[in-house]
Amino acid sequence: MDQTKQEEDYGYGLFPERKRAQSSKGFIRDSLFTFHHRCQFMLQVAVDSSPYAKLLLNAMKSSGCKVLKDRHFSCEDCDGTVSGGFDAISSQIVLCQNNISQQSHMTRVVTHELIHAFDHCRAHVDWFNNYRHLACSEIRAANLSGDCTFSNEAARFNFGLKEHHQECVRDRALRSILALRNISRQEAEKIVDEVFDTCFNDHAPFGRIPHSKKDAKFASRDYENRGRYYANL
Amino acid sequence: MDRSEEKLWRTPRPCDYYWSEFRHCKSLWNRFHQYYTYGTSPSCQQWKEDYHNCKEWEKHRSAEAKEALQASERGRVAEQRKFTPVWQLRKDPPSDWYMPLNEDKPQDS
Repeated sequence: MDQTKQEEDYGYGLFPERKRAQSSKGFIRDSLFTFHHRCQFMLQVAVDSSPYAKLLLNAMKSSGCKVLKDRHFSCEDCDGTVSGGFDAISSQIVLCQNNISQQSHMTRVVTHELIHAFDHCRAHVDWFNNYRHLACSEIRAANLSGDCTFSNEAARFNFGLKEHHQECVRDRALRSILALRNISRQEAEKIVDEVFDTCFNDHAPFGRIPHSKKDAKFASRDYENRGRYYANL
Repeated sequence: MDRSEEKLWRTPRPCDYYWSEFRHCKSLWNRFHQYYTYGTSPSCQQWKEDYHNCKEWEKHRSAEAKEALQASERGRVAEQRKFTPVWQLRKDPPSDWYMPLNEDKPQDS
């Protein structure tokens, strides 16, 4: 498959640095405080302090995919307003250093992409050819990462109450699919509808939808306790 | 065999987990999140019953308490599994997860 087609069809065009060698960055750029440094710093804070991230990292380690910060995360400049992505070919989480300026945003993006990485690790996800698989992972990531909390939605001026979380998850999954794949809105909506119920109810590894840090801590506690739990059912 | 199994059996969660889940379930924040997600009020009574059954087992090794607790937890597990996955789960992690990055490799599928 030639490079142009891959960029157009699989969203790689949003991440132009994926094809440039690391050595093209200048010495001066690297030595001053840059977006790159900020990204690396915020990533470390997210990994150290977020109960969402800690649980996902733990679950991935247990599944045989220990996440190594230098190998599996990459801070890069990206096009448009995209915040991050998961590159299944290189098994890397891309963080868009030019589009993430706040710690809370970084933490959310890290969680979102870790959910994709977790799905890649535990299941045969056909990211490139099976749109249902892609939709499912996007639904799960929007659902479980805190993307759709009331406050995040309010900040986007999307005000809603009763069952709004589901509307948000549906909408954000749709947007992600349309950004990454060359299909019509109608087709994307149909695919999201087909897999929504199944994927919205798949809460692995949290066991619940974590709406807050407290939810995530309870989920973490349950995860640590899983040996005793399943042994005594 | 039964008696030794009874001696070995522990409650699936420590009793204080059930109590903290009950308190968390009843909280205003959780009630809001339940409505925001599902449009309903949360039902928290089961956590309270599980806590009492847990304490009953701890104090008196009650067989009824044990069975009730197990039934309740199995119900929770069944709720979480009430869907057919869209993908097949792996038996082993992806073989290239730790493969070194090759920056110069051209993108090909």
